[in-house]
Amino acid sequence: MLSFPGVIETYHLSKVYSRGVYALRDLSLRVEKGEFVFLTGPSGAGKSTFLRLMLRQELASEGQLIVNGRNLAELRPREVQAYRRSLGFVFQDFKLIPRKTVFENVAFVPRVLGVPEAQQKRRAYQVLKWVGLQHRMNAYPVELSGGEQQRIAIARALVNDPTLILADEPTGNLDPDLSLEIMNLFREINARGTTVVVATHDRELIRQVGRRSVSLDHGQLVETS
Amino acid sequence: MRALRYFLTEAGSSIWRGRRAAALAVMTIAVGLFLLGFFLVVNANLARLVARWTEAAEMSVYLRDEVQPGERTAIEDILAGSASVARHEYVSKEDALGRFRRDFADLAGLIEGFQGNPLPASYEVRLRSEAAQQGGLDELAGRLSATAGVADVRYDRLWLSRLNMAVTLLRAVSVIIVTIVGVAAALTVANVVRLAAYARRDEIEIMQLVGSPAAYVRGPFIVEGTLQGGSGAILALAPLWFGFVAANVRYGRFVTGALGLDGLSFLSPAAIGLLLVGGMVVGCLGGMVAARGLR
Repeated sequence: MLSFPGVIETYHLSKVYSRGVYALRDLSLRVEKGEFVFLTGPSGAGKSTFLRLMLRQELASEGQLIVNGRNLAELRPREVQAYRRSLGFVFQDFKLIPRKTVFENVAFVPRVLGVPEAQQKRRAYQVLKWVGLQHRMNAYPVELSGGEQQRIAIARALVNDPTLILADEPTGNLDPDLSLEIMNLFREINARGTTVVVATHDRELIRQVGRRSVSLDHGQLVETS
Repeated sequence: MRALRYFLTEAGSSIWRGRRAAALAVMTIAVGLFLLGFFLVVNANLARLVARWTEAAEMSVYLRDEVQPGERTAIEDILAGSASVARHEYVSKEDALGRFRRDFADLAGLIEGFQGNPLPASYEVRLRSEAAQQGGLDELAGRLSATAGVADVRYDRLWLSRLNMAVTLLRAVSVIIVTIVGVAAALTVANVVRLAAYARRDEIEIMQLVGSPAAYVRGPFIVEGTLQGGSGAILALAPLWFGFVAANVRYGRFVTGALGLDGLSFLSPAAIGLLLVGGMVVGCLGGMVAARGLR
């Protein structure tokens, strides 16, 4: 039987901080291409650490983290940049630039990647239209609701057409209705073939969305459902 | 081209956002370059003055009355072979007497009291303008004094060496002051750009996360420093020029009349270019220091 590599594969992955505290311990995990996976667990379970390793903001202490067939520990700085261009990320606090309009926030990504201006505008408009906020493109983030801000952050994550979306507690600042609305956007993204990994502690939301979830506790894998 | 436009746009808006701090950096660079420009102007004019005076300076080699033709040939060989000598002229005892009578007609009677001609024959030596700076005159004077047939060697040694010492001292002081102010300017730019980087840390974080090339992350800060440096240079050159024009109007006649120079001279185009480039380099270095940790 043939075995195809998953988008994300971890082998005995551990991350140890100072004084020997394990944020992740011996995590072996596999996420297939086009899959939608929740990472769940209480605060301090290791969800955000896993995403930081995925973003290559930190390196694993032990084990291997392989994404799209590349061992992240072996990437050189230029390769890290290229790798990150294949990702989209969404954070709990949106990380929008308050000085820039909605349109500028979204177009910022292709702009700093050196994409020609006409393409920057076209792509930004397309994703804003897709998240339903093209009519607010001249507004500033502060003028938007939390749900709208998160949709802008999702638009920004999509503008570079990534193969993998990582989201860290994307609904942490939103009420349940808005949370479900945001999750529906992730489901639509996933339906287009993009792999989605969402870290959340909201078990009710996971139940409503109904996708595979990986539970962590004290850095260890405790359940996959 | 696209990248450069991005750097310039971002640097321009960053300068505008932090205009007070940017103004401080520009002023610091302007002060440093104004001082450098001032010293360069003073130095250039002093150098012209020294050259002028050195050209006018002469060395007189007085001969003994009993000097032999062979000894004169040896003296002429020394003069002809010296790099410090522009030209030399033999003045015989008769020529010296004739000149004395012509130049000091009122004192001509004094000479008549002597038996024979009391004035010695000599060589009047015109020195090269750069000879005073090269310190070869003492050596030349020493060789001539030790040559048979030479009674005495006179030249404006003390005056020229003091003038040279003053010019050298001025240069050393200007180098020290300009270096100190230059380092201070670079550090000020670095801190101002670092403040700008801090104000834009959210953008930088996004750029890093989306895999923006390091040049795109650092470029705007380096361009920001360079723009501040260039602005500082322009700001230094303007008052320097106006100050020079004012000084020329006020003291131009004195300089022409008393010092023998044909007016004061401003910085050469090359020196102006050097100041502009220097300002931009100082600013660029500050920007690079600030952007060092970003990738």
